[in-house]
Amino acid sequence: MSDGHTFSSILLGGRGGTSPGTFNVSSKKISWTKSGGGGGGGKTIEVDKSDIVNLTWMKVPRTFQLGVRIRDGLVYKFTGFKEQDVTSLTTYFQKNFGKTSEEKQLSISGHNWGEVDLTGNMLSFLVGSKQAFEVSLADVSQTQLQGKNDVVLEFHMDDTTGANEAYGVLAALLGPKDSLIEISFHIPNSNTQYVGDENRP
Amino acid sequence: GSGDGRGAARSASDLIAYKNVNDMPPPRDRELMIQIDQKNEAILLPIYGSMVPFHVATVKSVSSQQDNNRTGYMRIIFNVPGTAFNPHDANSLKFQGSIYLKEVSFRSKDPRHVSEVVQLIKTLRRQVASRESERAERAT
Repeated sequence: MSDGHTFSSILLGGRGGTSPGTFNVSSKKISWTKSGGGGGGGKTIEVDKSDIVNLTWMKVPRTFQLGVRIRDGLVYKFTGFKEQDVTSLTTYFQKNFGKTSEEKQLSISGHNWGEVDLTGNMLSFLVGSKQAFEVSLADVSQTQLQGKNDVVLEFHMDDTTGANEAYGVLAALLGPKDSLIEISFHIPNSNTQYVGDENRP
Repeated sequence: GSGDGRGAARSASDLIAYKNVNDMPPPRDRELMIQIDQKNEAILLPIYGSMVPFHVATVKSVSSQQDNNRTGYMRIIFNVPGTAFNPHDANSLKFQGSIYLKEVSFRSKDPRHVSEVVQLIKTLRRQVASRESERAERAT
């Protein structure tokens, strides 16, 4: 692949954890292949350039994370890029995919109050307009309103149950040690942006 | 016990876990386990492949459970405004319109790790709460 770029030791992240592999980009697509034998080694995820909705970069401890949002709302997270990779890939994406990658910042203040943003299938919790975390609503098995002000999201217990196929593949690749099973938000009466109106899967 | 969280809650908005992304500890293992950073008084939670920091002063209570299948469960409840004995007044005025993360629960393949983490959080929480209440007393 003369026109592409390959990056080894790139972690694919998901609900349960991360998995190491090789990241590849060509003028037609982005792909990632899990390294090692057994346990899903050699498994590949491919994203055609026409399926890419947007691309984001985020500085995380020691390295950079690429977020690839695809048409059905899922976001793939690839971690392990160097600063110079960010520069070269940003140019590459622009030139070959016609996509400008956006920069996101990770919330490091440690605060638990902010805003909730719903885009596609992803729910982001932002603290001071920096991203604390993102969760996929495709993994939510149940949503409850508790009292007047609390919204509870329960996640599938079975990690291989994804509401969409791409996530199912992603989940099967990752063997979580500590996995998120429930999360709840408190929405004070003073809040005017009401998240309860969204139709959640 | 969970305590009343008063000392910690009052100053939670002034307490910052990290100033720089590089001050965060790197993930200890690829499976991304819950980590405690005592130096920076932070709890790092693995959420969707990323470590997300929370200052221990935002924590109201933490508990763990273990079932027969050797699976551990951990629940963290955060301080939110408007709960009894937690007059978050200054904060709720300052952050009117905010949405609060109230609770997170994790399931773990390693129950021992979970109970260890819970103990560490409780200790750290006590330390920070007593330091902050001493500071508040000195200020008055």
